[in-house]
Amino acid sequence: MRRPSLLALAGLAAALCACGSTNDAALRSSLAALRTPPVAPSSSAAPGPTCAHPTWSLHPAGPGPSVRAIRRRGRLRAGVDQNTLLLGYANPLHGQRIEGFEIDLLHELSRALFGRPDRIDFRALTTAERISAVRDGMVDIVADAVTITCDRARQVNFSTVYLSAGQRVLVPSDSPARSLKDLRGKRVCATQSSTSISALGKYPGVIPHPVPLRTDCLVALQRGEVDAITSDDAILLGFHAQDPYTKVIGPAIEREPYGMAISKSHPDLVRFVNRELARMRADGTWRRLYRKWLPGTPRQPTVHYRD
Amino acid sequence: MAVTASASVNPFGVKVARARLHRTPVRLRLTAAVLAIASIALGLIAATAATSRRDAAHSVSASSEPQLMRAESVYASLSDADATAATTFLTGGIEPPARRSQYLRDLDAASAQLAALTHHAGDSPATRTAAATLTNQLPVYTGLVEAARANNRQGFPVGAAYLRRASALMRTRLLPAAERLYGIEGQRMNGDYRDGTRNAGLTAALVAAAVLFVLLVLTQIGLARFSNRILNIPLVIATVLVAVLGMWIGLGLSGEQNALAAAQRKGSDSVQLLSASRVLALRAQRDDSLALIGRGSDTTSLEDFDRAMIALRGKRAGGGLLGEAQRVAERSGTAGSLAAVRVSLARFERAHARVAAREGIGDYTGAVRSYIRGELRVARSLDAALESETRAAQQRFATNADSASSSVRGLRFGIPLLALAVAALAVLGLSHRVREYR
Repeated sequence: MRRPSLLALAGLAAALCACGSTNDAALRSSLAALRTPPVAPSSSAAPGPTCAHPTWSLHPAGPGPSVRAIRRRGRLRAGVDQNTLLLGYANPLHGQRIEGFEIDLLHELSRALFGRPDRIDFRALTTAERISAVRDGMVDIVADAVTITCDRARQVNFSTVYLSAGQRVLVPSDSPARSLKDLRGKRVCATQSSTSISALGKYPGVIPHPVPLRTDCLVALQRGEVDAITSDDAILLGFHAQDPYTKVIGPAIEREPYGMAISKSHPDLVRFVNRELARMRADGTWRRLYRKWLPGTPRQPTVHYRD
Repeated sequence: MAVTASASVNPFGVKVARARLHRTPVRLRLTAAVLAIASIALGLIAATAATSRRDAAHSVSASSEPQLMRAESVYASLSDADATAATTFLTGGIEPPARRSQYLRDLDAASAQLAALTHHAGDSPATRTAAATLTNQLPVYTGLVEAARANNRQGFPVGAAYLRRASALMRTRLLPAAERLYGIEGQRMNGDYRDGTRNAGLTAALVAAAVLFVLLVLTQIGLARFSNRILNIPLVIATVLVAVLGMWIGLGLSGEQNALAAAQRKGSDSVQLLSASRVLALRAQRDDSLALIGRGSDTTSLEDFDRAMIALRGKRAGGGLLGEAQRVAERSGTAGSLAAVRVSLARFERAHARVAAREGIGDYTGAVRSYIRGELRVARSLDAALESETRAAQQRFATNADSASSSVRGLRFGIPLLALAVAALAVLGLSHRVREYR
């Protein structure tokens, strides 16, 4: 009686030894793999040093060694923005081709370099990347609403001014504000590392709302997250074209002369570009392109040379 | 336990007046009571163990596994919707109807599964918070995507900004909430696994059976000594029943335990690893779309692409989630089925490299074309391969979990019946002896 039962119990114990156990290894590694690291916040630039004539550029001249190198390569590498209607933007209606006033100026340069307007590799840049992209040789030239400032002029060379913009303010069309002074205690959107956001520092009480790309400001305004946008008038006009329920208010807060940024080590490219810009001003190309893209009367910027 | 025939203390140590103890009928009645109580105690202990095992096994297959699959489906649908929206935008112009309907299907699936998940979630505050985030933010997300479409259709570049915003919302709010849900349900399921394989109940039931068995044997030895009768038929039957019951408990519960462990090892471990892999593959695809939309201005997406790929396949061969899934598959004898996934992944990486090469020489149009005609198709087949592997693992899970439940099904009712029978037989067997004194 007892012996067989004990044997059965021993058998049972043997069966239990084979008992499986469970663990969390699979779930732990799945969850660890899915975890996304947080996005690091970026900071805005502080106002830079001052200097006498940052917009004075180099005298026009023919091609030198770096122009010849670009010609040998066969393509011009240009840093642009693809979100700024009127100046430079990827047009969804044309298969996301980049178009705009600045883009057409670059096509003119391509024509002068290669005899064809389309030998350009466009690289989209964030506002914060514009200077470093030229300085580090990622692109040959940047035409992306770069305001010439003393700080930037110490890092890169600038062509002569190709557009005189001014910093202004865009508000919803029902806003009672008439200038930036009326926006005390309000949130005002501006692009990170832009001259516009530095200028906001002069208006205490205005709450800056920095974003990485220009059009992010229009999204913020349309969603009611900010009360106004400050940027250059050329950019704001592009916003207004995308949202007619907005208006540009007030006088220009700052003068914003745009120049094409080129590496300090390629002065001959600066001279070559200046020669082309002078040609465009003289033969009416500049005026034609201005009329093609921008509203208002074309007023050619005054040009100074430092040598 | 040293109990002799002339025991002055009963096995449970209940002290009784010495004089009464020496009167045989009282001793017999006491022994009968002790045996009856021990049988009923065995019945209770074993039934509790079987019920809690059965509940855990049932909960794994009927509740926590379906919930985990719902959470996985929410997560994967949202990831796919995000990848599809980004890709659709990239193609520009008039979107292909198939891609639009896929986006809408994803959203439908995500909200339907989310509703089912919250319906079955009970009142876990963590689940509710995560589900509320999804319920509140999903309309915001779709609103942003529609704003992107509307602006895109008018040729306005602000459309791209809306899409970036939508994708950022997906990355920072929706997907983390889906991930939390997935984590909560995964933990719940593993908790059920632990309950279903816990040894304490089984050990207690077996010890109780052994104690009762020994008591019955000792009683029979004692009876044989002072009554000169070798066999007491009811007590012999009771002893056999206890032995059978003990074996049944042991085999049933360990069978359940083995089946449940197999369900995890062969099924849900693979399900978890493969569904996480699927989400990572979709994330990589979305990253590539966003990087192309950014046309060089979006380096974070490419960094995230690399991170997703490393998490997916590791830095060295056999690493990452897929390496782990492979090892799990080998352990459970289902290896080889992952070959299709690995082939698709290798093709996906080659396609990605071709797109990157086009971008590297500044040929944006060519890069987009190569992405849409090459990488995107490969990404779809990778997703399909991962999905079908996940479903196969789910099937393996279901088979094993069913057998776990069925191992203990009879026990829940069998144990109390058998225990009552043992108690009755013990009382019957001893009452025969008591009657001899009248």
